[in-house]
Amino acid sequence: MAANAIDQTRRMLSLVTYLRERPGAHVSDVARAFGISEDELISDLDVLPMCGTSFRGGDLLDIDTDGDRIWWHNPDDVAEPLRLAADEATALLVAARAVTTLPGLREGDRQALLRATAKLEAAAGEAAGASSRLSVTFESEGGVFAEVDRAISERRRLWLRYYSPARDELTEREVDPIRLFAVGHTYMEAWCRLSEARRTFRLDRVAEIKLLDAPAAPPELELRDLSEGLVQPSAEDPEVVVEVGPGGRWVAEYYPHDSAEEQPDGGLRITLRTPAPASLRRLALRLGGDGRIVSPRELAESARLAADEALAAYDGRE
Amino acid sequence: MAIAKAERLMNLALCLLGTRRPLSKRELRGSIEAYLEAGTDDSFNRMFERDKEDLRELGLVIETVENLDGETGYLARRDSNRLPPITLDAEEAAALGLAAKVWQQARLAGAASGALQKLRAAGMPEAEDAYEAHHSALEPRIPVHEAAFEPLMLACRDRRPVVFDYRKANAARPEQRQVEPWTLECWRGHWYLAGWDRDRGAERVFRLSRITGRVRSRAGSFTAPVPDAVTVRETVESWAGETATRSALIRLRSGCGYPLRARAVSSRDLGDGWDELEIPYGHGLDAWLVEFGPDVVVLEPADLRADVVERLRAVAKG
Repeated sequence: MAANAIDQTRRMLSLVTYLRERPGAHVSDVARAFGISEDELISDLDVLPMCGTSFRGGDLLDIDTDGDRIWWHNPDDVAEPLRLAADEATALLVAARAVTTLPGLREGDRQALLRATAKLEAAAGEAAGASSRLSVTFESEGGVFAEVDRAISERRRLWLRYYSPARDELTEREVDPIRLFAVGHTYMEAWCRLSEARRTFRLDRVAEIKLLDAPAAPPELELRDLSEGLVQPSAEDPEVVVEVGPGGRWVAEYYPHDSAEEQPDGGLRITLRTPAPASLRRLALRLGGDGRIVSPRELAESARLAADEALAAYDGRE
Repeated sequence: MAIAKAERLMNLALCLLGTRRPLSKRELRGSIEAYLEAGTDDSFNRMFERDKEDLRELGLVIETVENLDGETGYLARRDSNRLPPITLDAEEAAALGLAAKVWQQARLAGAASGALQKLRAAGMPEAEDAYEAHHSALEPRIPVHEAAFEPLMLACRDRRPVVFDYRKANAARPEQRQVEPWTLECWRGHWYLAGWDRDRGAERVFRLSRITGRVRSRAGSFTAPVPDAVTVRETVESWAGETATRSALIRLRSGCGYPLRARAVSSRDLGDGWDELEIPYGHGLDAWLVEFGPDVVVLEPADLRADVVERLRAVAKG
């Protein structure tokens, strides 16, 4: 059953138009055309026979299904294609414009999308007006993108020189790419042959890339659900506690955390987990007077020592 | 059991679309079973008003006409509700299908698939199965984690003033802001609002993750003119320090700080295990340089040197 009555109503109105042209349509085909599951379609088909212009006069839609095919016994002309609502036009147009800005998008796809966008704007008419009030820009990591895209479609291995901010170093590795996705930045998910594990690489941190002749052979893996966020720390990871003042509140926006307690001074006490606490030395240094690492002690101490050592270079050179 | 809302909405839509003359509320109540079961006149009236609004949300143009007896009638004329002819080829249809998947926000995801379903009902061809093989492997996603997004999207769409509590990056307490919202823009995975700040009498850009509490609508309309082009991105770039106006000279330990090297205007090997780099100097450079600890020494300008030393001293104090 559809969770949202508005979405279901909108779908049923389109369904009626669609079915009118296709007597005896197959449940599986219709579900695919509408991007819904067969169960969702069947639940729509359960509702439709209760709908019509009057429940008394018997003017109800006589639509039924045997679970395989769908029949409409009294098709009428109620069912004309409906104009797009403002939200519908906005959702589709904003998404289409955003995707056309993707660096590395194949030229054929971009041209098709530009043509479709123009036709859609014309058909949406007034409803397209509000779509200019929402916009999305994807990051440009174009050069690397094209190589990764090619490696995926040709199922080939890649060689990378990749920057790890946690250790401030470049490492060379061979990876078998699995997929490319964009959430703010563009990322590649791949099987890393160096660490023998699945890794996510941010494309703007790839310093150098080469397409290898060897075929990619990633192990069979279930794709991660990205809606949960990119970084999904595990409960076994060590805990780090950071206390920040008002100027360090951004830490809670950038780092996934277990908790962020408000402090009397307008700051936060943030508890987070990471597999490698040492990588947070950068954060401790960056925070300066806006915050400090409370635990683990060794991490706080390493940041203090790094600052001492850095200051030595400025002595007597003021 | 109460009749499901989707069934009620569907019936109202079919009645309004099916009629050639305006139907009064009395007539509609007599034709739709759910309304007969609504109980009192009051509860029917409330239900009817809400349902009309919901149908308008999904794009139906419902006219209100007064007849000779002064009774109000409603109808959805065919010609104002029909989708203008639109012909999309299979490539364009596939490109729109990819674009519609980018939304991770329920309302926009629903609206985007609703738009595709309407287009499908109007004859948009289905993608061939071979499509995926020769097109880009990219999966773009637009993240929306901010609770303020949906109310602000609707306020931008309807040009309604809003009020919300906003905590500036380095402020201890949130402050109430009265804003005429113009546009929302997503950049690097974060959402920003541009609008007219009524109290400050000036254009402002807000980051949605810094809005605390609920976004409330204000009665009345906009008081300031809406500009043709809004520059959200330029403002955010300058916050992020990407609009550098000066340059800085630093020493960097060999092999360290790849991102600094990637940005360097010029670089030379000093021969003693250090390199000298000239890099663009914009807002936020001091905090970034401190992250590299003892691997970076700022040579000039003096103000940047002083900022970095001050930050390092704060960390060294512990």
